[in-house]
Amino acid sequence: MRFYFLKLMLFSLVFGVFWSVSQEKTLAQQLSGSYQDYLNPGDLNNALNDLHKKFPKQTKLIKLASSAGNSSLQMPEIGPEAGLEKKSLPAILVVANMEGTVPVSSMAAIYLADYILNSGQGPKDLTWYVLPCGNPDAYTHYFETPLRIDPRNKKAHNDDMDDLTDEDGFNDLDGNGVITQMRVKDPEGIWIPVSEDPRMLRKADANKGEKGIYKLYSEGLDNDGDGKYNEDGAGGVNVGINFPHLFEPFTKTSGLWPGCTDESFQLIKFVFEHPEIAMTMNFGATNFCLQPPKGGRKAGVDMDKIKIPESMAEMFGADPNRTYSISEIIELVQPMVPAGMTVTESMVASFLGLGAVVNPLEKDLKFYKELSDQYKEYLKDKGLEAERLDPQSAKDGSFELWSYYHLGIPSFTMDFWTLPKVKEEKKEDSGITIEKLEKMSSEDFIALGEEKITIFLKESGAPDHFKAESVIKMVESGQVSPKQMAGMMKDMPKPKDEKEGDPKTKALLAYSDDQLGGKGFLDWTPFKHPGLGDVEIGGTVPFVNNTPPKEIMDSLFALQVPWVLELCKKLPRLSILQSEVKHQGAGVYELIIWVENGSYLPFPTAMGERNEQPAPAVIELDGKDISLLSGKKRTPINSIAGLKVKKLSWLIETEKGVNLNVKLSSVFAWGDEKQIKIGGVK
Amino acid sequence: MKKLNLVTTFILLGIISLFPLFAQQAKITIPLRFDYYYSYEQVVEALKALNSAFPGLTELEMVGKSEENREIYALTINNPKTGKALAKPGVYVDGNIHGNELQAAEVGLYLANELLTKYGKNEKITKLVDKNAFYLIPSVNVDGRYHFFNDANTPSTNRGLRRPKDDDRDGLFDEDFPDDLDGDGSITQMRIKDPFGDYKTDPEDSRLMIRVKPGEKGEWTRLGYEGIDNDGDGRVNEDSEGYVDPNRNWGYNWAPPYVQNGSGYYPFSGVGLSAIKDYILKRPNIIMVFAFHNNGGMFLRGPSTKAQGEFDPGDIRVYDYLGENAEKIVPGYRYLISWKDLYSTYGDFGDFMDHIVGAYTFIGELFVSATETYSKPEKGKKVDEESFFSGPNKERAREKLKYNDHVAMGELFTPWKSYKHPLYGDIEIGGWLKMSSRLSHPFMLQDLVHRNAAAVIFAAEQTPEVKMEVFEKTKIAKDLYRIRVRLTNNKAIPSITYHTVKDKVYPMDIIKLSGKGVNVVSGGKITDLYFDKVSYKKHKPEVQFCQVPGFGKVEYQFLVSGKGELNISYESRKAGKLNKTIEL
Repeated sequence: MRFYFLKLMLFSLVFGVFWSVSQEKTLAQQLSGSYQDYLNPGDLNNALNDLHKKFPKQTKLIKLASSAGNSSLQMPEIGPEAGLEKKSLPAILVVANMEGTVPVSSMAAIYLADYILNSGQGPKDLTWYVLPCGNPDAYTHYFETPLRIDPRNKKAHNDDMDDLTDEDGFNDLDGNGVITQMRVKDPEGIWIPVSEDPRMLRKADANKGEKGIYKLYSEGLDNDGDGKYNEDGAGGVNVGINFPHLFEPFTKTSGLWPGCTDESFQLIKFVFEHPEIAMTMNFGATNFCLQPPKGGRKAGVDMDKIKIPESMAEMFGADPNRTYSISEIIELVQPMVPAGMTVTESMVASFLGLGAVVNPLEKDLKFYKELSDQYKEYLKDKGLEAERLDPQSAKDGSFELWSYYHLGIPSFTMDFWTLPKVKEEKKEDSGITIEKLEKMSSEDFIALGEEKITIFLKESGAPDHFKAESVIKMVESGQVSPKQMAGMMKDMPKPKDEKEGDPKTKALLAYSDDQLGGKGFLDWTPFKHPGLGDVEIGGTVPFVNNTPPKEIMDSLFALQVPWVLELCKKLPRLSILQSEVKHQGAGVYELIIWVENGSYLPFPTAMGERNEQPAPAVIELDGKDISLLSGKKRTPINSIAGLKVKKLSWLIETEKGVNLNVKLSSVFAWGDEKQIKIGGVK
Repeated sequence: MKKLNLVTTFILLGIISLFPLFAQQAKITIPLRFDYYYSYEQVVEALKALNSAFPGLTELEMVGKSEENREIYALTINNPKTGKALAKPGVYVDGNIHGNELQAAEVGLYLANELLTKYGKNEKITKLVDKNAFYLIPSVNVDGRYHFFNDANTPSTNRGLRRPKDDDRDGLFDEDFPDDLDGDGSITQMRIKDPFGDYKTDPEDSRLMIRVKPGEKGEWTRLGYEGIDNDGDGRVNEDSEGYVDPNRNWGYNWAPPYVQNGSGYYPFSGVGLSAIKDYILKRPNIIMVFAFHNNGGMFLRGPSTKAQGEFDPGDIRVYDYLGENAEKIVPGYRYLISWKDLYSTYGDFGDFMDHIVGAYTFIGELFVSATETYSKPEKGKKVDEESFFSGPNKERAREKLKYNDHVAMGELFTPWKSYKHPLYGDIEIGGWLKMSSRLSHPFMLQDLVHRNAAAVIFAAEQTPEVKMEVFEKTKIAKDLYRIRVRLTNNKAIPSITYHTVKDKVYPMDIIKLSGKGVNVVSGGKITDLYFDKVSYKKHKPEVQFCQVPGFGKVEYQFLVSGKGELNISYESRKAGKLNKTIEL
């Protein structure tokens, strides 16, 4: 539907190069087909309504929230337990387009809902919650003229802290329906064109003797006459970064506190009202299926080396000059609290202000890495091998980071498309380095020949008057040795890097030129600006770099979305593996039960063990005429790693044979029930 | 468990519940009385009574409802004759965010009573009421207050919100409360005879126990608070109400429960709290805040964690001025920094008010237990500071028990009595009652509420009072004038906090020049009056952004061309609006 795509005649053919779509038949015909064009927020809701009408029993529509701009956030509940107040099955929460800037993610979510219902391939023992658009206000911009990207919802916000609110947004000065950039020649300019492709700009480097030429602005006027351009456009909160992990207040887009807008608040609230959610999936700009969540952030405190502040050390009877592990501190504090109160890690951590976990835990990274390898294989098998630009990294305050760190369940994300990577042209290489040169004899050097030496001189940035021919002569005559030459070259300024310029813009330009007839990047065009005088307007067209042509959505989704179902198969699944009853004599029996997590993912994640958020599983014994000598009727199970078992045992006294009912229950990892005959041994 | 309670209640019917001695069934009349504690219902009744006695000065609003559907009320005190509430510096006072911290609500009620009953009679109070808008929510945690009054409690239970949480991670929620086994309306202690126990009877007072020395024969083992193993998991009282701490559930620097115990699943998960947050945000004029708690005798300021870094020096000056005065007004109370002098907290109310609302905020920790004395006057005797963890020491406990006997008429302690416990067998139950440890005896309440209300009044007086004058109008050419405007503030609190300005939370105050026949050619802040140094604002010189400091002034200079009326307006989020017209 976007104009720059419409005219692409050879489009699917061209795309074959990058997405060598396998022969697998897409599900387009089987499905309702609503994902074949980008749907605006209203039509997304209509599509959900259609699905609900078609599958009234398997679906229930939930109105999750209203956006600041009064759009409704609809979310279907799908599965055999749809509409039931209390769920016994685990659930998957799929959210999409939380920043409202990734149209393809909303379509993927609709596709997923469609796929589960229409293909008959969805798992039968799961509930799905699918929110196709978490930020409809921002997403609306994709369907508006002029076209612009802005992740903020319609909550008013005074960005520039002046006397007016939302008074200076973008203006489509050249009337082409697209908000791009303006570059202006300015004595204080810092930007210069990239020599390889002067449409691209980069910052001038004064160290290399470069002087800036341009100042860059986004396209627009100084509407409020304060000397700044587009500094206070309409919009308030970027829903996608309004979640409580590493939330950053006091920025122009994050909102004042996590959950300060209904879109994020209601979603957070919903998640905690639904402890059956076993996994979350966020469709957007990041991809935890390909790239595990990143670590490397500087943590506040090393939990094994905690210093106790002097003000508290005396109270604890601790030495303020040494470090303690958290369990050592618990030992110190426990005797000081009232009887019956158990000191926990969380209590100590909060008392000493130790702060939150900020890097993914090692144990969890293992499954993220393994599943990422499996996903890459999966894509390879489907023929989807073309290299593309990397997905984005998860942002502070994002849904996915919050989900991993606060919920303690596996949290995955998927992006579906980025620009194809530009293939670097293979340049002819001399194969010589200054280090190699240093060790060469004159004869070796001359033997390289004129052609190679010419390339080498160019690579090393030798001045133009240094010709290979004359250099060879100098070496032959003994005027200079290769070693001396190497010494001179070390002192020469390094040659200019020809690969300058932002690789993303480069990829965009290549994509735009090769496949969009240049419509993805608008050439700099002179314009008479009322405030800035002579400017040029041009640059990247919004959404081109993350929005595939609608015609390929179908195949993109068919190849990638079903991976979600593969992940579901790996969710922790608890069952009673086996049991054993041993008679100890005198009517006393030992009952041993092995509880198994028969699936790949741990129950719960390591982060879930740390934050103690996921509900424990419980095993309950029920039988008449028994008494428990050791063990409890109800035994909580807090964790079982993937494909591992936990052995539990009880000592039971019974005079006659009884049928013991053993029930294993978990709100998010299925469960099991078994009858065990016990006693009756003479 | 209920069955057991009924049975024991019948058995122990003879024991009188001591709690009613602290409460009253009396009809609420104005002026309010402060010689007993108000139940939740009485707090509401008292607010309604104040509202109907002073309809011209008050508005009563139902802010929202709690987890258990109880109504939370706010009383606004404002004199509409001197302007709308929103156009005046707002002073917000709440209390009892922790349900068991009863007297915190009494401070709010007392403050309202003081301001309203003395209005028109006392010059200082009249001036204050005319100048400010007061927003009072005496009892924030209404469910907690209700349950603390009506159920058996320890001195520190029913602190949190009634949001079930699985404390012991067994899949059940709030299933093992303490139990009032002896039916005396309090949760006291259990002890059992044990020659290997760590305690023996205190030879000085047989009601107390002291630790045995190594090698010494023991007499008692303490079994903790009164209760049974309701859920049969081998533990007693391990999953009581909640726990979501309403003072860790606010949206600034909030951290999840594994970092901050009791923070709730997410900021503002408390429904009543969320309603109070909305109420506050609708009143952007709030610049001074007191939130009352017990105990310890402290006026705490933020920040609440070290990692946030210290406040802006400009704000610290204001806090120091107000805090040091509060210390003098309430004897024995200390002005302290929350993270440094007490402990770190995340997501607390004070941080939210400081950072998001942009208001100077004190947490008032009411009550100093050292005032419960029974001792000879001793010169230079140091007040015995109780450790946060270990509780009163041996001497202090003995003195406190004598205070109970001779001053509090024995109303704070219940003697040990034997009891047949279903698990432990023959035990004894007794000890300090729920009103014994963090609440002043009613005879001391009047003093506590008055002095703390006085500290609020002192701070309220220091809210900004901005005045504007045109102190120069010079004709420098034909139809060209130099106009100099001065904004003064003779109070300690600036017109906007330094933090708000630095972190760009809200726009600064605005000075605007306008007029039909005039054009503002240039304008800016005067940085040196004598050398005529002005930092000019290049664009839109007719609009200037400013902060009027405490005990200080700011000056602006404008070059204005044209003729006729020139209107100069000043508009502040917190410090009201001003207008001046001059003729050119």
